[in-house]
Amino acid sequence: MTRQMFISESALKSLAEELVKAGTRLVGPARERNGDLVYREASDLGEIELGGDPPTRSLKEFFLPPTEVLLTYRQKQGDVEVTPAPHVFAPLVVIGARPCDAAAVAAVDKVMDWDYHDELWFGRRLATTIVSVACGGGDASCFCTAVGLAPDSAKGSDVLLVPVEGGFHAEILTEKGEALVKAHAARFTEGGKAEAAKAYRDAARGKVQANLSADPAKIRAFLEAGFDHPIWKGIALRCHGCGACAFVCPTCHCFDIVDEPDSIERGTRRRNWDTCQAAKFTLHGSGHNPRNEQNCRIRQRMMHKFAIYPARFGEILCTGCGRCIRVCPGGMDLLETLDKLGRLPAGAPAEAKRGAP
Amino acid sequence: MTQGNLYAPYLMRVDEVVEETVDTRTLKLSFKDPEVAAKFDFKAGQFGEYSVFGAGECTFCIASAPTRKGYIECSFKKVGRVTAAMRELNVGDTMGFRGPYGNSFPLDKMAGKSLVFIAGGIGLAPVRCVIQNALDLRDKFKDITIIYGARSVGDLVYKRELDEWAKRPDVKLWQTVDPGGETKEWKGQIGFVPNVVEKAHPMALNAFAVVCGPPIMIKFTLPVLAKLGFKDDAIYTTLENRMKCGIGKCGRCNIGPVYVCKDGPVFNAAEIKKLPPEF
Repeated sequence: MTRQMFISESALKSLAEELVKAGTRLVGPARERNGDLVYREASDLGEIELGGDPPTRSLKEFFLPPTEVLLTYRQKQGDVEVTPAPHVFAPLVVIGARPCDAAAVAAVDKVMDWDYHDELWFGRRLATTIVSVACGGGDASCFCTAVGLAPDSAKGSDVLLVPVEGGFHAEILTEKGEALVKAHAARFTEGGKAEAAKAYRDAARGKVQANLSADPAKIRAFLEAGFDHPIWKGIALRCHGCGACAFVCPTCHCFDIVDEPDSIERGTRRRNWDTCQAAKFTLHGSGHNPRNEQNCRIRQRMMHKFAIYPARFGEILCTGCGRCIRVCPGGMDLLETLDKLGRLPAGAPAEAKRGAP
Repeated sequence: MTQGNLYAPYLMRVDEVVEETVDTRTLKLSFKDPEVAAKFDFKAGQFGEYSVFGAGECTFCIASAPTRKGYIECSFKKVGRVTAAMRELNVGDTMGFRGPYGNSFPLDKMAGKSLVFIAGGIGLAPVRCVIQNALDLRDKFKDITIIYGARSVGDLVYKRELDEWAKRPDVKLWQTVDPGGETKEWKGQIGFVPNVVEKAHPMALNAFAVVCGPPIMIKFTLPVLAKLGFKDDAIYTTLENRMKCGIGKCGRCNIGPVYVCKDGPVFNAAEIKKLPPEF
C-alpha cells in the first residue's frame, strides 16, 4: 500500500536544497525570461511553480530530448569507428511535475520497451525521480478526466504531493519515491493529511470534468470503424501541418534519425523529434505518399492516440493536458473534436473501397 | 546483438558492387567483426537499416538468402541523399547495418507446396531472397514458377541470375517487358505482368504466390491470382512503408493498427485487405 506522509513547504524547500548540494539536477516548472512557464533546471525551489498555469512544454524532453546523439563516428579512407552514445545518466529529481505529464511518460514507456528496450529513454527514466503536485484543475483546455486520468492521478509519479494547509500530503508510490524519502527522512512526517487533501482533489476533478465528458471506449469504437467517415474530409481545414501540437504533446514520441557531419571525417547520428503531421513524414523514395493529405494525417494522429495505441499497449496516448489546443495557430481544438467523435455512432458509411494497393 | 545501444549499427565492408541497371546497384556486404559474422542470422523477408556515415540511414530488405552464409546483399535505386551516398561506395568501403528486423515469409508453411513468384522492377529484390532460399532447398518444394517484368529490358535487375534460372530445368521462368520496352534481341514476353501471369497460368492447388512490385502491378495481379484460384491467405507480399527506427518506436510506418516494421513487412493478401488504404 502507498505510504502516506506529510511535508511542510519549508521542508520541501530544504529537501530541494539538499538535492542541489548533493549534485542532483533539480527540475521543475519555472519561468523563462520571456515569462513562459517551462520545465527547466532550477537551483532553488523558489524558482519552481508548484501549481497554477500548465507549463507550455511537457516533461517528455527530459526523456526524449528534441535532439539527442545516438552515436558519433569518425571515418578515414573508408574505415569507420563508431561510438554509441552512453545511456547512463546523472540523477535528476523533478519537483512539481503536473500529474498529466507524469502519466504521459508512463504511457510512452510501453512503446519504448516493445520487444526492443530503448536504452536512452530508460537510462533517463532510471535516473529520474518524479515528484508530482496534484493540479488544481488547470484551465478551459484541460480534459484529463475524459481520458481516464485526473488532476491528482498518481500514474507515472514516484511521489504525489497534494497541497494542504502549510504543506503537502505526500503519497510515496514507488521504490524510487521511497529512496527519496529515505534520503531526506527528516523532512517528512508520518501519517499524511488525506482528509484535508480530499477537498482539494474533489474540487480539481469537478473543475476539469466540467470541460468535457466523453467516453474513451466510445471514441475508440468510432475510430476503429470510422476510417472512411465523411467527418475526416474537412477535419484539417484549419490545420497548417506545423506539428506544434505534436511537439508540445507529452505523449507524441515520433522521431527521425539523421546524420549530422561536422566534417568529412566526423559527425553524429541523432534522433530528432518528428511528427506525423508533417507532409514528408511518410513520403516514399518513389514519390508516393500514403498519407498525402492533411486530413489523413489528422486522422492518423487521432487513431494512433485513441485507437491504435490503446489496442496495442492498453494506454490512451493522450493525457488531456490541453497543450495542443492552447498552441494551435489554426485554432484546432482536440477537446471539441473528441466531444464530436464521442457523439457519433460507431460504424461508418463505407465510401472508399478497401483492397489492394 | 546490439552494440552499445539499439541504434548503433554493425560495420560492414563492401565486398562487391554490381551495376544492375542505369540507376540500380547491388552491394554485397560482409560484417567486419568476425564474431558478429559468426552469430548473424536472418529469415527470408526481413529487412535492415543500412547507413552511410554522414548521409544517414535507409531501409531495404535483405536481397540475398539466409541459406547463403557470410554475406548479405542489398539492391537500391538512387532516389535520395542516402542512396546517392551509397552509389559513391566502392569495394573496401565501410557502411553500417542494423537488423535483421521484422517478420519473414512462412517458408515452413510453404514446404511441400508449389511456389509462384511474381515481381516487377526492383520489387524482385525481396522476392529474390525467397527464390534463392527456395532454390537452395529445392527438394522441399514442388513446382517453382517465376514471373518477372520490368518497364524495359534495361530495367531488368539480377540479369545474371535470370539467365541462371532460365537454364534450370526445375524452374519455370517468364520474363516480360512493357510494350515498347523490348529490344531486337529480346526473346521474352512483351506485356504487363498481370497479363503474363494469366498466360503462365500457374496452378493454385497446393501453391503459394509471392508478389512484389509497384502498387499498380499488385493491384491488377491480385484479381488474376484470385481467378486462377489462389486464396488470399496463399498470396504473400512485403510492404515498403517509410521507416526510420525499424523497431516499432518512431511511429512512421503505421497503416491503421499495423506497425509495418514489427507486424510486417510480410503480409498475406487477407491481412492486407483488412488494412486501411494507406500504403
